[in-house]
Amino acid sequence: MRRKRRRRDQGSVEMNLAAMLDMAFQLLTFFILTFRPAPVEGQLSLNLPPPVAVAVAKPEANDGNDNMGEAGLETLHLQVMANERGGVKQVILEASPVVQGEMNDANIQRLDKELRRIFGTKMIAFDRIQIAVERKLRYGELMKIIDVCTRQKTPDGKQMQKISFTELSAGGAAAASEAP
Amino acid sequence: MSEMNSERAEPNLTPLLDMVFQLITFFMLVINFKGASMDLSLKLPVLGSARPLDRQGKLEPLLLNIDAEGGVHCFGRLEEIQPLIDKEARLLKEQLKAAGEPVGGEFPVGVIIRADRAVPFHQLNHVIEVCQKAGYRQFSLSAMTRQETR
Repeated sequence: MRRKRRRRDQGSVEMNLAAMLDMAFQLLTFFILTFRPAPVEGQLSLNLPPPVAVAVAKPEANDGNDNMGEAGLETLHLQVMANERGGVKQVILEASPVVQGEMNDANIQRLDKELRRIFGTKMIAFDRIQIAVERKLRYGELMKIIDVCTRQKTPDGKQMQKISFTELSAGGAAAASEAP
Repeated sequence: MSEMNSERAEPNLTPLLDMVFQLITFFMLVINFKGASMDLSLKLPVLGSARPLDRQGKLEPLLLNIDAEGGVHCFGRLEEIQPLIDKEARLLKEQLKAAGEPVGGEFPVGVIIRADRAVPFHQLNHVIEVCQKAGYRQFSLSAMTRQETR
């Protein structure tokens, strides 16, 4: 009797793992079925204050960028006209057209260069950009312009983040922008 | 001979269980809890310069999905923007009050806007204006950092 018991004690104890394996497989199935990889997304961080009431400069009142500083503005004004398909037709920077046609790489570079030139001018310290956008412009196209704007540096060396939007009627500049 | 046949053959399940647990651990680590709040059917604009959000503060930003027709979705439900923002602003004020932070003026919490690239500007602008009137100032516009292959 004693000999028998000793033999049993020495035998290895084996747990039945089948039940645990079943549960583990169920958990695994749940995780596989609910698995949705996070998209590769980024953000453009902006400080969007409400737009300020301004009279948008008319082309006949200002024939270039040279006398922009006369008003002593710290807000740079952009107008974006849209074509029928919701793409960019024209971008006007302080009453001067800088881009004609869709925002392809060449036009993006042209706008960037122009903005860099203006932001590089020490005479006027712009800390905010106000973009008047035609209502039918698609968001994807607008983002290209916002992207160029956020590349600019404010007088304190930080990236431009203060951007406000106003809505242009289909007619263009005359209907632009009022504060709430 | 017949005694041998009647013995049960039990495979060693331990390595299999180990592997399954490792797989479970992997999926638990990579699970995306925020996925529920995102509408993954939206076609976001593509901008190489978009960077992952560096979130500061304890409060969660408000995430709004705007589809190509201008409908605002929050956690998979189509919502009216004005009541949604009113409710969120009220809750946020209560949270700020409970945390002993100043209430009023600009909110210290941002809004993440995930809008389809085809949405017209006036619909996006309406959402932004409603948020601005409620007190939100910090906005993050979502974009894909590279073109989707699917």
